[in-house]
Amino acid sequence: MTKRKMFLRMITASLLRRRSRMLIALLSIAIGATILSGLVTIYYDVPRQMGAQFRSYGANMILLPEDGGALTQASMDRALSAVPAENLVGATPYRYVRLDMTSRQQSFTTAGTVFAEVQKTSPYFSVEGEYPQGSKEILVGKEIADTIGVKAGSYIQLTYRPSVTVHENASDDWVPGASLSGSAEGFNAGIVVVEATLDEDAKIASITVDASSQTEEIGGQVATDRNFLARFIGQSLPLTLGEDVDAVSGATVSSQAVVDALNNSRSADSGTTVTEQSGYFNVTGILVTGGEEESYIFMSLEDLEKLTRDDSLDVAELSISANADQLDGYAAAINESGEGVTAKLVKRVTRSETAVLGKLQALVFLVTVVVLLLTTICVSTTMMAVVSERRREIGLRKALGAPDSSIRAEFLGEGMFLGGLGGLLGAALGFVFAQVVSVNVFGSSITFQPLLLPITLVVSMLIAAVSCLLPIKRAVAIDPALVLKGE
Amino acid sequence: MSLLELKNVSKIYGELKALDNINIHVDKGEWVAIMGPSGSGKSTMMNIIGCMDKPTVGEVLLDGVDISKESSKNLTDIRRDKIGLVFQQFHMVGYLTAVENVMVSQYYHSMPDEEEALEALGRVGLRERAKHLPSQLSGGEQQRVCVARALINHPELILADEPTGNLDEANENIVLDLFRQLHDEGTTLIVVTHDPEVAEAAQRTIVLEHGRVAREVINENFGK
Repeated sequence: MTKRKMFLRMITASLLRRRSRMLIALLSIAIGATILSGLVTIYYDVPRQMGAQFRSYGANMILLPEDGGALTQASMDRALSAVPAENLVGATPYRYVRLDMTSRQQSFTTAGTVFAEVQKTSPYFSVEGEYPQGSKEILVGKEIADTIGVKAGSYIQLTYRPSVTVHENASDDWVPGASLSGSAEGFNAGIVVVEATLDEDAKIASITVDASSQTEEIGGQVATDRNFLARFIGQSLPLTLGEDVDAVSGATVSSQAVVDALNNSRSADSGTTVTEQSGYFNVTGILVTGGEEESYIFMSLEDLEKLTRDDSLDVAELSISANADQLDGYAAAINESGEGVTAKLVKRVTRSETAVLGKLQALVFLVTVVVLLLTTICVSTTMMAVVSERRREIGLRKALGAPDSSIRAEFLGEGMFLGGLGGLLGAALGFVFAQVVSVNVFGSSITFQPLLLPITLVVSMLIAAVSCLLPIKRAVAIDPALVLKGE
Repeated sequence: MSLLELKNVSKIYGELKALDNINIHVDKGEWVAIMGPSGSGKSTMMNIIGCMDKPTVGEVLLDGVDISKESSKNLTDIRRDKIGLVFQQFHMVGYLTAVENVMVSQYYHSMPDEEEALEALGRVGLRERAKHLPSQLSGGEQQRVCVARALINHPELILADEPTGNLDEANENIVLDLFRQLHDEGTTLIVVTHDPEVAEAAQRTIVLEHGRVAREVINENFGK
């Protein structure tokens, strides 16, 4: 048998046959190692966890069209090439348009977007029902749903009417023989559309009014009241209500709309007329956010484009996994990309994320240091007790000729063995501990860091070794003669 | 030829002279008993001979080497190489088996050899008990293990401190018989004892009183 084998045999015998005392030392090391590996796991996992937490509060960067520029899906995609794909959690384009709900004669802000991205950049959106999957499917904000009484499964008709635009030089079109078309806002934001023809003197020869958006018995009369309509024949544009024509009694607003529509009217030949687009949409879900989104309708960009014949975007919300400095860098890169796109940080979120992370990590670090210190003290105390318990044995070993180095090696060996075993236990328990904390606090599980096993093992053995220093000093100082004194 | 020689050895603790100008010599192969009442300086002398203490004054020659001036590290080496110790309280490592306790002595001396350790246990009649822990052995058995441990490295000198003090008569006789065998093989024995019967087993008895050698008695019945 070699000396090394005997050394191991003595150490294992000491540990195995004196279990109760050694269990205490083992337990304190294991607990220390558990806290160590658990906290270190959390320490490294916290940024990921917290990042996910913060991003669940919404986007941390937005893209806007530059002054005079335009934001489109294509320019957005090109601008986003500045952000590494693995860091880009989601990019959601939005276009806001007011659409009329035909049956209620009300108009609502409607957002065209990409639903798959919405779920990434606005994870806090809660949908009663389901997100739209195909075309002609929409989400309705809870506030609107409550007002108009729709629920998941309902169908509603939405209409896009081109917004009223005043042509500065509309009078250029008022030439003899022209066919004119114009529109203006009437009662309750309803649009009144007027078509007219001019005679050879550029005076009104005929007039047709579409006032179906107005209240039928009141404003609606502007389309049917022959006396009212007759007053327009032979007039020259522009007209003033009350001077050139009198309003229909009780329908002043609608009458004014007819006059405005004529004054806005342009030649049908100039090709600027946009006819309204309408469609039926299936409500697949009601959106509940607690915010202003509840007063919006959401549909796919494709559907909105079909209604409006326009593919421009108003804004894009981005969710990027990065710290504040990196975000600044990405924003600068996008602004310099020359795509006519401006990137802005949602500073509130990114700043607080960085600050909270720093504080949390400092706290975890502090706790780890304190726990390691306590473990050292605890193990040291236990080893000290072990030494006084074994005074006679140590004296005997020295009397038998054990050199000091041998006594040191034996105690250090026992300590390291305990440290290794405790570290192994601690690494396993620590992962469980971190997992429990992570699931309870952050609501998500963590992955095992293989590197943590050797780190915990080494630190535990180091702590055990440091804890043994003072006890070993005591052991070495024991006088071998004490075994003769019959103590 | 002398193995051990104490020349004018004194050990002084403050006012107290534990040993007062002692002169002793022990020949190789001799069996000497040291007797004396409590406080006569037996333990102090034992510690000095056992290389666990140094005299205040005087020379101690062990196998021709003056050990009175050696460093404690060298004393440890000398003790390990030349002396086998047997104690009154047996002193075994509680968590090691009988054979492992014997092997501890080999471990510090040279190389552990389980076969040899088992042979030594066989010699003290305990081969069957080799795998027992001290708590499973009687006092007499423990002391026999200690004798096996003391002789395993073939020391020049076996130094025994009240080896039968805690034993019944039957076990005392077994231990004394072991000493006789060792003596017959040429091992030098120094046995510190209160017990006149144990002292009478030796060739010569040195009696200490108040730190001095009071008298020396040659046992005329030795070997008869």
